[in-house]
Amino acid sequence: MKTDSPRSLSRSQIIPSPRYAASVAGRNARVFSKLWKGSLAPQFIDPLFYLVAMGYGLGTYIASINGVPYRDFIAPGLIASSAMWAASFECTYNVYIRMHEYHLYDAVLSTPVEAQDLVAGDLVWSAIRAMIYSTVFLIVVTAFGLIHSWWAIAIPPLVIIGGLAFSTIAYTFTALIPRIDLYSYYFTLGITPMFLFSGIFFPFNRLPGWVEVVAWFTPLYHLVQVTRGLAEGPGPIVLVHLGILLAISVALFAIPVRAVRRRLVA
Amino acid sequence: MSEPAVLARDLRKSYDGRVAVDGIDFAVDPGTCFGFLGPNGAGKTTTMKMVYGLAEVGGGELRVLGIDVVAEPRRVKAHLGVVPQETNLDGEFTVLENLLVQASYFGIPRRDVEPRARELLEFTQLTERAGDRIETLSGGMKRRLLVARALINEPDIVVLDEPTTGLDPQARLAVWRAMEELKDRGVSLLLTTHYMEEAARLCDRLVIMDLGRIVAEGEPVELIRKHQAENLEEVFLDLTGRHLRED
Repeated sequence: MKTDSPRSLSRSQIIPSPRYAASVAGRNARVFSKLWKGSLAPQFIDPLFYLVAMGYGLGTYIASINGVPYRDFIAPGLIASSAMWAASFECTYNVYIRMHEYHLYDAVLSTPVEAQDLVAGDLVWSAIRAMIYSTVFLIVVTAFGLIHSWWAIAIPPLVIIGGLAFSTIAYTFTALIPRIDLYSYYFTLGITPMFLFSGIFFPFNRLPGWVEVVAWFTPLYHLVQVTRGLAEGPGPIVLVHLGILLAISVALFAIPVRAVRRRLVA
Repeated sequence: MSEPAVLARDLRKSYDGRVAVDGIDFAVDPGTCFGFLGPNGAGKTTTMKMVYGLAEVGGGELRVLGIDVVAEPRRVKAHLGVVPQETNLDGEFTVLENLLVQASYFGIPRRDVEPRARELLEFTQLTERAGDRIETLSGGMKRRLLVARALINEPDIVVLDEPTTGLDPQARLAVWRAMEELKDRGVSLLLTTHYMEEAARLCDRLVIMDLGRIVAEGEPVELIRKHQAENLEEVFLDLTGRHLRED
């Protein structure tokens, strides 16, 4: 006899089907392809403002950091942060609206698509979207002459792993919050401080040791290390940072799956 | 006797200790229309949602075409079309795109989809609105599009949860005709409704639910005769009471 108590999910209720997840990602990509001119522009211009203000403004007064011109120092970090912003917007407001305003997920879950496929499809799309934004910015900073290594070609495929981590974190938050206004906390207390203190704008080597220790606990720090490493010529430590980002996604995935099930398949 | 389209045995469901479905049994013969009547809160929608996977089965047994709903939800849902109570069309897309995207959730190969989608728009008289956005449609058109969407996977069973609530008589008639044609094609229908004339016209068999239980079951005519009533409405009110329900 089955009970009504919320039961823990079985393996088959957590592991997504690639085929059905792809149909969800495909739906989102289709929307994006209709709207991209409108929705690509603002988030793409945003890191450009930081590059100009900090790199070319402030950078005029700062000769170099660790021997690297200041704008060359911050450009790869801004590639990482553009992925973070893109993934965070997609898996907060966009997912929330699909779930609660459009009731779209009720319709999707009435098809063979299950909750784990839905979450996985949304996350994969969000990671690809993050890659699109950061790649556009990568092309711009390359044109500005701020990229110095051919390894930078590996940034787009690898930034997907970072995009996936930010997407999973944001999706987890979305699946658990009761009201849309709580996102202001997410951005003000989570994303914005991470943007400012994850090693994009200043390095940690002359700061007290605990600063870098704290930074290790932020996903953006790891993605900045990846993009900066690839832009300047990487060391093997890049693999460690990628591993941490991947581990975040894998570790969190079951939480939004469970929460979506509880919300929509009560 | 062939396998029932839907079979429930001692089916149960409660939400936080509040009983919504309290041990019901029913069997839907393939190719027939089976109705669920009852006041608000009787457990009709919860029963429907358990069939199409938006509510977990709380207890008992529920099979669709012999397949266990709990064990194999994907296989069950592949055979179903769902017309939900509340419109949940995809507002980012046009009428036609809604059908194409829906087909993708069923893994239907792309090349087969568009002719089928156009055929369904013809069937629901929406061909001229194919390229229009959802927000430009009237309530009746949205409802018809929900019917078209429910048919994109050529389902064996279509679940309709109050499909004509809020529609004008013409729009209601259009939905009824579509349902009758589906039945002629051998599709099984599960219908919840508040309209007794709708139930009398469409249902081969129906149950009246109240407080999570089935209080009567039979063919509409048989129920009227058995309760020595004038019509189905009278049977309904006799069984579920004439006082106003607060839910």
